[in-house]
Amino acid sequence: MVGRDFVIFVIRRAINAVITLLLLIALMFIIVHIIYPTPLSLARLYAGPHPTYAQLLAIVKKYDLDAPLYVQFYNYLVGVFTGNLGFDPIYKEPVAQIIMYYLPITLTYIIPATVITVLLGTYLGAVAAANRNKWLDYLIRAFYVFTWSSPPFFIAILLQLIFAYDLGLLPATGYVNELLPAPKPITGVPLIDALIEHDYAFAYSYFIHMILPMMAVVIYSFGIYTRMARNTMLDVLESDYVRLAYAKGLSRRVVVYGSYGLRNALIPLVTLMVLTFALAWTGAYVAEDVFLYHGMGYLVTSAITQVDPIMVYDITFFVAISVIIANFIADILYGILDPRVRVT
Amino acid sequence: MTEQAIISRRGIASSLWNWIKLIAKDPAGLLGLVIVTLFILWSIIQGSLELLASYLHHPSLAYILLPHNPYAFGPPLKPPSLTYLFGTNGNGQDILSRILYSIPYSAAYPAFLVVLSAILIGAALGISAGYLGGWWDEVLMRVTDAFLSIPAIVLAIVVAVLLKASFIGMIYSFIIVWWPIYARLFRAETLRVKAMDYVAAAQLYGVSPLRLFFRYLFINTIDPIIAYAMLDFGNVILAASILNFIGVGLQPGLPILGEMASDGLSGLPLAWWWAIFPSVTILIIALGFVLLGDRLQDIIGGRAAY
Repeated sequence: MVGRDFVIFVIRRAINAVITLLLLIALMFIIVHIIYPTPLSLARLYAGPHPTYAQLLAIVKKYDLDAPLYVQFYNYLVGVFTGNLGFDPIYKEPVAQIIMYYLPITLTYIIPATVITVLLGTYLGAVAAANRNKWLDYLIRAFYVFTWSSPPFFIAILLQLIFAYDLGLLPATGYVNELLPAPKPITGVPLIDALIEHDYAFAYSYFIHMILPMMAVVIYSFGIYTRMARNTMLDVLESDYVRLAYAKGLSRRVVVYGSYGLRNALIPLVTLMVLTFALAWTGAYVAEDVFLYHGMGYLVTSAITQVDPIMVYDITFFVAISVIIANFIADILYGILDPRVRVT
Repeated sequence: MTEQAIISRRGIASSLWNWIKLIAKDPAGLLGLVIVTLFILWSIIQGSLELLASYLHHPSLAYILLPHNPYAFGPPLKPPSLTYLFGTNGNGQDILSRILYSIPYSAAYPAFLVVLSAILIGAALGISAGYLGGWWDEVLMRVTDAFLSIPAIVLAIVVAVLLKASFIGMIYSFIIVWWPIYARLFRAETLRVKAMDYVAAAQLYGVSPLRLFFRYLFINTIDPIIAYAMLDFGNVILAASILNFIGVGLQPGLPILGEMASDGLSGLPLAWWWAIFPSVTILIIALGFVLLGDRLQDIIGGRAAY
């Protein structure tokens, strides 16, 4: 399977991802410089609330904000690739360091959430398409239309009310029991650190706090994905090779869920995984606000209320990088599933 | 296609009636149509009352259709009852009145301003890119790639924060991030239409570029985009509510559905009505647009049997 053309394909996709990243850096640079055209106004971006004039001048000097634009762009590029994104005025720490603390906490639950959404959505989409216009199809469609059109905080609030407050099954807020000592950072991912150090009490507490935000994210991104899965599956089931498979006398179960139906519907669905991951980020912003879960969403919300634009800006950047990486992985998967794209 | 041709030959009123009949054949489409119609009617009525009230400096004019004054303080945290149908919030303000009062601001203005601007910008850029091709097409596609590589809501949040996060800043930020998908759609449709004989005939005939743009390309590419835009009204309303929920795009003293839900978190286990009713309102409005958009896509895409 791993031939020469596949290696070339991977390299080409990697170059594509880097180009997208560079374009994105340029785009955000341009947006910032249109909104903040002068060095002093740019300094406000790094200054936090209520800066004095002398502070602003010091910031202009520190970040070379009065240099020509191409010099600034070069400095910014170097900063991005060396992980130097500026100094946060509220936390009094480098922004990249703060984000690297919170990023793994959010990724720990949105990556499983994306995987669950994709598996569940693909299966239910196939079931709905195979039972087109029967009650099972209507049930699945009603559910995805409902989740698609409900705001994510409504889902999160409902889950919190039902599972945490009414049934008392899961904790309502927080990301871990505050009384438990945190494991020593080895990988930076608290759950994995706790498992490595055999701190199962911490890992268990972390896990049960993770379930509700994860469910909220899954249900939020479930709607769009399942709808697309059903439509793709309908297109596949109407194609000639599926009709041929039926004509050969294969059973419905083999045709729909085997290598004729589902296998061919998977190919376009791989690209949708990225969309699901992107939606999971949006869902995470909101779910963390509801569940007071201390991840990236919490960081964004507190940065917004504390008027800390540089933090919001850099977080967006990290989100974008994670989505670009997800896109790259999806491209590779696409190449494995569908050998035709490797040639073009 | 033939049915559409027949529709367009009659007057606007009767073609609209035909569309309504076509949509209403499916119960879900009918439900969507009813919700969207009620939403638009209420937005027009309440929105013009609010404008009139601020123009005449007569604030109570904006409340005459509401059961209570949305700003007046009463008994706090009253559960739903006959006096307060949806209960009251922590300040004792009537939640139903606040919901009705805020619908134009939290749903109608963002949805219509953002989607219409996105269609106009997307049409201008997408059709020109698809029609002209060459380096302009290449540049535009790379720019839209960069935009579409980040989730739109995440990008809208950062642009709104950079723009000082006021209500109008939120609208601007949405317009900035929302056009690329329309540019893509218009470009793809233009590539399809460009190959048609009537475009070549128009070129031979020496039709002016503006006329070619509006009468030949825009009119013939708009159909699938209208169906998408109908779904997108719901998307924008949801996106705006998400931004309002996490604290972007708020105006002091202006009740907004997302903000009301966010405030309601503080009363959650007991005063559930505080957070739930504003969220359900957003759900219903978005549901209307999703159902109607789905039905329109079925009709235009030819999936539905009619």
